[in-house]
Amino acid sequence: MQFDIQVKMTIYRHFAETGIGPSVKEVADRVGSDVKTVLDTYRRLCAQRLLVLEADGSSIRMASPFSGVPTQHVAESGGTRYFGNCAWDALGVIAALQRSGIVHSRCEQSGEPLRLEVGLDGPEASDWLFHCLVPAAKWWDDIVFT
Amino acid sequence: MLFFRSEERVREWSKSRGTPVQPLVSMGQLWMLATTWYSTRLQETSRRPQPDEMCGIFADIGLTGDFWNPKSDTFG
Repeated sequence: MQFDIQVKMTIYRHFAETGIGPSVKEVADRVGSDVKTVLDTYRRLCAQRLLVLEADGSSIRMASPFSGVPTQHVAESGGTRYFGNCAWDALGVIAALQRSGIVHSRCEQSGEPLRLEVGLDGPEASDWLFHCLVPAAKWWDDIVFT
Repeated sequence: MLFFRSEERVREWSKSRGTPVQPLVSMGQLWMLATTWYSTRLQETSRRPQPDEMCGIFADIGLTGDFWNPKSDTFG
């Protein structure tokens, strides 16, 4: 269990420090283990819905709120650019980092750009809206689509 | 899970895709969701809210009904 926490924290800290996800080899090196053992932990973190992997079984697609691939939902904070998995996660990046930042995204219908300043107490006043097509009970049927 | 400039834009988007307009969430509500889910994510003890907890979290910020029920089998 302690090893799984060590792997989880290594992944999340890498995202927080760099804005991108680590390779499984980087994680293995940082925790002083081997790729196979780390991949076993990945499977357990996936079961806890803390990690979503790409089809290759080792690249990190999601370590929510962080995205391992570029998306339209960007959070800038502390001079680093982060990708969120969705609108919710873009604000989630700021919440996880616990420092102020700016969220950049767009209106999905019109393409109008969104620039939202977010402080430690929350976002500036805004009448933009968040819409989720998929009901909560179905989110994990296809979390990438959700 | 997307941003929209207004309810009208959500309705246009939904109509063009033939999908329902689901409950809309304000930016203030979204911030509450973001902090509840993620403010401890960089701590060792962090974990995702479980389904029973999710219902309470959603209700506390005014998000109620089957759409927000992670255990519902009916979807509004």
